[in-house]
Amino acid sequence: MKTILIIAQREITRLRSRFRGSSRPVVALALVGVSLVAYLTFRQGAMRGRGLYRVGLPPAADLAIQDSRFATIAIPLPTGRSLLEAGALDAYVDTAAARIIHRQDDRSLYAANALKLYLEKQELARLEQEYHPDAAFPLRVQVNHFPVDPQAEAEEILIPSLMTPPLPFAQVVTISLYLLPVFFVSVFFTSGLMDEKIDRRITVLMSAPVTPFQIIAGKMLPYIGFALLSVVGLTLILQGSVLLALAIFLPVILFIFSIYLMVPLVYRTFKDTTFISMLATTIITSYLVFPAMFSGLNDLSHISPLTLAVKMYRDEPFTLKEYLTSTASMYLVFAFATYIGTRILNEEYLTRFRPLYRKVSDAIYLALDRSRPHLSILLLSACLIPIVYMIQLVTLAVSLNLPIRLAIGALLIASVLIEEVAKSVGIVTLIENGDATRGREILPLSFLSALGFLVGEKLLLYVSVSIVSETMLSAALFNVGMLWIPLLAHIIFTTMVCLLTHWWGIRRYLYALLIGSAVHVVYNLFVLGVIG
Amino acid sequence: MNPFFVILKKELRAVAQERTILIAITIQLFIASFSSAILIGLMSFYDPEAIGLSTRISVRTGIVGATNNPLVGFLEEQNAQLTSFATLQEAQLAFDAGQIDAAILIPPERAAEDDPTVEMQLVLPASETYSTVILMVLQGPLKEYETYLRKRNGIQIRYTDVAGKPATTYEFQYGVILPLLMFFPAFIAGSMVVDSISEELVNRTMDTLWVAPLSLNTILGSKIAAAVLLAGAQAALWAALLRFNSIPIQNLGLVLLLSVLSAAIIAIGSAFIAVYLKDRERSQFLYSIFVLLSASLSYLFDLSPIALVTRLATGDYYTGPAEVALYAGLLAVLMGAFFTTAEKLIAVPS
Repeated sequence: MKTILIIAQREITRLRSRFRGSSRPVVALALVGVSLVAYLTFRQGAMRGRGLYRVGLPPAADLAIQDSRFATIAIPLPTGRSLLEAGALDAYVDTAAARIIHRQDDRSLYAANALKLYLEKQELARLEQEYHPDAAFPLRVQVNHFPVDPQAEAEEILIPSLMTPPLPFAQVVTISLYLLPVFFVSVFFTSGLMDEKIDRRITVLMSAPVTPFQIIAGKMLPYIGFALLSVVGLTLILQGSVLLALAIFLPVILFIFSIYLMVPLVYRTFKDTTFISMLATTIITSYLVFPAMFSGLNDLSHISPLTLAVKMYRDEPFTLKEYLTSTASMYLVFAFATYIGTRILNEEYLTRFRPLYRKVSDAIYLALDRSRPHLSILLLSACLIPIVYMIQLVTLAVSLNLPIRLAIGALLIASVLIEEVAKSVGIVTLIENGDATRGREILPLSFLSALGFLVGEKLLLYVSVSIVSETMLSAALFNVGMLWIPLLAHIIFTTMVCLLTHWWGIRRYLYALLIGSAVHVVYNLFVLGVIG
Repeated sequence: MNPFFVILKKELRAVAQERTILIAITIQLFIASFSSAILIGLMSFYDPEAIGLSTRISVRTGIVGATNNPLVGFLEEQNAQLTSFATLQEAQLAFDAGQIDAAILIPPERAAEDDPTVEMQLVLPASETYSTVILMVLQGPLKEYETYLRKRNGIQIRYTDVAGKPATTYEFQYGVILPLLMFFPAFIAGSMVVDSISEELVNRTMDTLWVAPLSLNTILGSKIAAAVLLAGAQAALWAALLRFNSIPIQNLGLVLLLSVLSAAIIAIGSAFIAVYLKDRERSQFLYSIFVLLSASLSYLFDLSPIALVTRLATGDYYTGPAEVALYAGLLAVLMGAFFTTAEKLIAVPS
């Protein structure tokens, strides 16, 4: 622990020396500037196209349109009409007759509809002010749920025109602010590791009596500390519960840093580091933000811890199980990444310049404990599952650009390919490095890899979906009679890929992968009832 | 060959070899598709009409009580399948048998003078997802009935009878997606310039280059040009893809020009930062702050590139070459400032 603290101390000193001299005021000024402007922008609210519509209003209208989508011009009605016809206006609000004048083309119709929605809101505000609430909002809808209990009080009372969708859009946007400081300091964390690499100081450090884990922990500690401090600060500003916020965001922070740990260790050039970090930032953000957008609407939103934060700010309780559902995989990824980090933190690996996929496969090879290949392969398969899910999420989003039939097909093929890579990659690196040379050795490894993957997959699925309906689902998932079929299938596909690679040679891994995946796709189509 | 083009070619080749550009394109494609998935999905909850949801889903609704109520008519207009029941218990049985999705208990109508309000009971399934969708669909008829009741109380709500077209998708495509795709390449260009310059400085290869009969401005200029060229190519690619997805762009030339100008402005700004700070760590940090600053700022001004692109692409009557020229002017000023001071800046230790 003392060593870790010393390394952490050294990292802080390094960072402080960076911002000495003339760069300090520049950075300070930029930070103040950005906070100010970001605050101003934030107060503006959601933006969808500034000045998108040109709207005419009568000169003396008592109507002010305060929505940046509408650029307003005050002109009398006749001029407004002719401008509208000439296409210089998209709509005209005739306040005297309480109507919106528009053309019949798309642009004008869009403008009219956007105006209508905006003005409706203004109207409701006016009714609220001018009339008695009972007269202005006469309909009250008591909402109850099946099964009906005649004695029960109404669970909530709705007024249709004041109803807002139950989506936590604004809350999620606010909560995403928690991620911002983490992403900002990540550049220092990655640079800290890269500096050691460039100056070859890492060699000196490694020859000292410190373990790779101590180096990683020490270098990470200051940034995790800063990130946690920012969580405390932001929670105090937003008036949430600090302890709860820390419990929610600690795994998130660990998760983000574990991904940023991988980037500089595997990187080759500065540009690589930048772009891979950018990709990581994008994927992490969507993985966290997207499900949270649906909190309270879909139970699958619980895969993101931000959902818990939404609940916290809505004063809704959440269970320990819900907490584990969203955070367990984050803690796991962190443990997994830190472990890989300790294995690849050696001079030879860090300074070798090879293509990205080679660096990744080398990292996997180094991560495996060659004296215990079976256990290593089993654990590797299980540990890769969260990563597989993340990549599948990415393909899902990208595939939505295609027509729906094509998208489903592409998605089916892509997810199978990703799964097959995850299951075979460990064994293939063993084959490549001569640690598994005979077919007899490959068979049990394929079996264990498939087993690890299936068990991990079912477990993750069980934990994440079981909140929905516990008994039915666990019965379906863990019905032993049904479970051995997918297990057998997984084993067959993985064995195919690995044996073919063994026979044809490592250079033809891609073909082996394609064949194994093709069989897997056919199996999936059969299970889905598309064929057969 | 002109040394400027030699370095330019070297930069472009490096990007192609390292596959970084592929990662960059993946990021943009991902952001664009993800944000459309999120926003179109979410906006449809705020504006269900936008995706035609309310007319496509037919909610099987049980009516308990007064079937002559005007609400029943509004529900029928919304394609709801109605079944009437004498009691809530009967509706419950039908729900259990999977025959209805929701039930509404309508009280007998009273005269408005006695009590201006009407209380109804709505029974929804226990599943949160399910009941949210049903509530969304039923919201339309309920609102119509509310307007009817208001009229009965002598209150008129204005501007409700406009026959427009749901604009959510339109606003999103031109207000969010298009600016995103036109300016993200610029953001990437700046990042590339920071990396490219600081890499030469950290590895001390800049000195070697400088010893050759090359001016510093040629070296920096070609690096900036390479990044801007790539940004332009990406913007053109996105424009083509948008057109392919039948999202037409008016004033295409001006839109692309503005995108390239912004890329150049950002690239020069980032070159300023990199030449001044000389290492990747601080430069990237300051650069990301700078980008956040300019992105936030551009939300606040009517003449911002983001707003301009939206207006140009939708064919706004009042927006044209003059506004774009403003940025060309800004670029000229920045270029002048950068190329006259770069040599001095690089000599300043920091």
